[in-house]
Amino acid sequence: MGEMWKGNHAIAEAAVRAGCRLYAGYPITPSTEIMEYLSARLPEVGGSFIQAESELAGINMIIGGAACGYRSLTASSGPGISLKQEGMSVLADEELSAVVINVVRYGNGLGTLYSAQCDYHRETKGGGNGDYRVIVLCPSSIQEAIEHVFLAYDLAEKYRMVAMIMTEGALGQMMEPIEMPDFIEKKRMPWALDGHYSYKKIGIFDRNSMKEAIDLNQKYNTIKENEQRWESDNLDKADYVFVSYGLPGESTKGAVEQLRDEGYQVGFIRPITAWPYPEKAFNLINPNVKGIITVESNATGQMVDDAALSIKKTKRDKNVPTYCLPYVYGIPAIKEIKKDFMKILSGEIKEVY
Amino acid sequence: MKEIVFSGFGGQGVLTSGLIVSDIAASKDLKVTWMPSYGSAMRGGTANCTVKYGESKIYNPSLEEPDLLLAMNNPSFKAFINRVKPGGVVLINSELVTCKTDDREDVHIISIPCNQIANNLDHPKGANIVMTGAIVKLMNDFDKNEAISAMTKMFAKKGKNRFQEKNQLAFEAGFNFV
Amino acid sequence: MGKTRKTPSIIDKPMNFCPGCGHGIIIRLICEVLEELGQDNNVIFPIGVGCSSNLGGGLVADRFHCSHGRAAAVASGMKAVSPENIIVSYQGDGDAYSIGIAETINAAYRNENITVVTVNNTNFGMTGGQMSWTTMPKQKTTTSQLGRDCDKTGYPMKFPELVASQFNIAYAARGSVHSPASINKTKSYIKKAIESQMNNEGYSVVEVMSPCPVNWNMTPVEAMDRIKNELIDYFELGEFKQREVIK
Repeated sequence: MGEMWKGNHAIAEAAVRAGCRLYAGYPITPSTEIMEYLSARLPEVGGSFIQAESELAGINMIIGGAACGYRSLTASSGPGISLKQEGMSVLADEELSAVVINVVRYGNGLGTLYSAQCDYHRETKGGGNGDYRVIVLCPSSIQEAIEHVFLAYDLAEKYRMVAMIMTEGALGQMMEPIEMPDFIEKKRMPWALDGHYSYKKIGIFDRNSMKEAIDLNQKYNTIKENEQRWESDNLDKADYVFVSYGLPGESTKGAVEQLRDEGYQVGFIRPITAWPYPEKAFNLINPNVKGIITVESNATGQMVDDAALSIKKTKRDKNVPTYCLPYVYGIPAIKEIKKDFMKILSGEIKEVY
Repeated sequence: MKEIVFSGFGGQGVLTSGLIVSDIAASKDLKVTWMPSYGSAMRGGTANCTVKYGESKIYNPSLEEPDLLLAMNNPSFKAFINRVKPGGVVLINSELVTCKTDDREDVHIISIPCNQIANNLDHPKGANIVMTGAIVKLMNDFDKNEAISAMTKMFAKKGKNRFQEKNQLAFEAGFNFV
Repeated sequence: MGKTRKTPSIIDKPMNFCPGCGHGIIIRLICEVLEELGQDNNVIFPIGVGCSSNLGGGLVADRFHCSHGRAAAVASGMKAVSPENIIVSYQGDGDAYSIGIAETINAAYRNENITVVTVNNTNFGMTGGQMSWTTMPKQKTTTSQLGRDCDKTGYPMKFPELVASQFNIAYAARGSVHSPASINKTKSYIKKAIESQMNNEGYSVVEVMSPCPVNWNMTPVEAMDRIKNELIDYFELGEFKQREVIK
């Protein structure tokens, strides 16, 4: 039998078991349980915990830990992640691996505490200054979030970049029975600063920015090719394909199941990587598909842009309409999604693209 | 799949009551989710959680249409009464839910003086456990002894098993009341 | 008979400082101290943004170019995971005391076991001589063209005194490089700071008064004289906090 764990606690314990040796961060609802848990837990396993004076300091402490080649972690939410963008851009520039967790809450500025998906644009398009990418994983259950902690570190180290887990307030606060994986041993990364100048570095004024940028882009293209992840069903037969991630993604799956029982030819794509976006899933869609529908927990409709671009890329000869059902915050109820699907069929809800 | 909302003032133990039912369901290897209210919602003095359990996958852990509402005070009753599924059960703390409760004719209202029962057992903090016993009986999904054993294990895991005997008495009192 | 002074082994090439700048002297002092303490092959430098960035180009040592002002936070993270290394942040006054004051002061507040070396040349040197938080009253800079009005812009900050008087730290001092005697004294301060880190005593900071002839519109000699005749009256030299070490 699985044991009941709170999402944030489970993520924190998973980080410990994945070999995380430094956490630094600043409290913010609904992510705080991660740091509370690690404040006691990391010292038990020989790790370090620093309560930073700000999210800005927190990400910079993580840069220190990452530069020294140890698995490091910071977590925050909404405005806290805004402050971390500077450091995430530095991590991208220095090609350091680190994991950042955004337990997303709704709103601009200070925002609210409601569970949401309003930070999609920021997390998937960059966020900080420059010309970089971040791998973005979006779990839809606590068990998957635990797997994503291990996966995030592996991908971050494989490609030497930031991997973000874009979870949601509700997923952080809720509990589910889960199985916790075993501990793994992690050694210092071979490229780490160790005080002995083992890993040679050129001076900052001697860098070849043109070559670096081209190499970095090549790396990002490799990731786009190799690391797209998603879950999908009934794409080859579907007249309408729903696209939704995280907790709304699960609710969407429930709606699709019920709609199919009622005789509608629908399918779904649940992106697991928000970047790289699972374009390849769109290759599997029925050539005669009548529409793509994103289900999102934000007001403006954000992922719909990527869904529209992906269907355009994979069905170049068609002009497949792409709709968006934005529920602002929370987790849309299955019956709401079904009701709005009927409005799409009746023409009451128009396509975005 | 069953859905229960536990709601009341902070301190009335509604989140714990939800956890106990969740642990009972988990002990039977069912799918379970426990979703609390959190953040500023906690600070105003009200608390609630939604528990769902069943054999099949739970697609949405948040409040949709509860089969049972536990309302430990007036604000909770008013907040959730219109969400309850037609034919559903509303379990109220009769000492604190004093508002009009008969607006909906399609739900079953069950009143329990849980504070008084808990006080009679010399376990004044056990009112939520009394209600938990009643909920387990009303849902009719779990055997009483299995439920008590799962509850005992949950408290032991948290290092809070010093009320074990009284909790068991409170649970049984609620279970037998309905 | 004069002593033969050899260049510390971790310095491998000239750095790009302006004629008469003090940075080169200070970096050399740090490297000499590290070598004398046997730590020159066990050091990581988190480096600030500004003229201090030039340290990165001239040393064969581990270093990390931090974003502007954040070196003390980066240093804290490094020391947390790698306590066996000596961590020396190298920052200017603009980096450490203006944009980075939160990170700088909070590292002291937590008594992080790191060494912070700040180079105080009373302006933002790299960007062309703007007012910083250590610019003197009435000093003309490109952003205080009529002379600094301290009633509107604040008075020059005395960071070592501040943290020495307020926080539980190991060591705080201010040195200068305007004369051979002051250079030797500064070297002894840097040595004590790094020793305190080696002894796990906690946070150490050495601020060094340093000439910036290009932005001060002075000759190198005039700039040295300015430190001697004007600056050290306000920015007092000496040790402000030294801990009793119980062995």
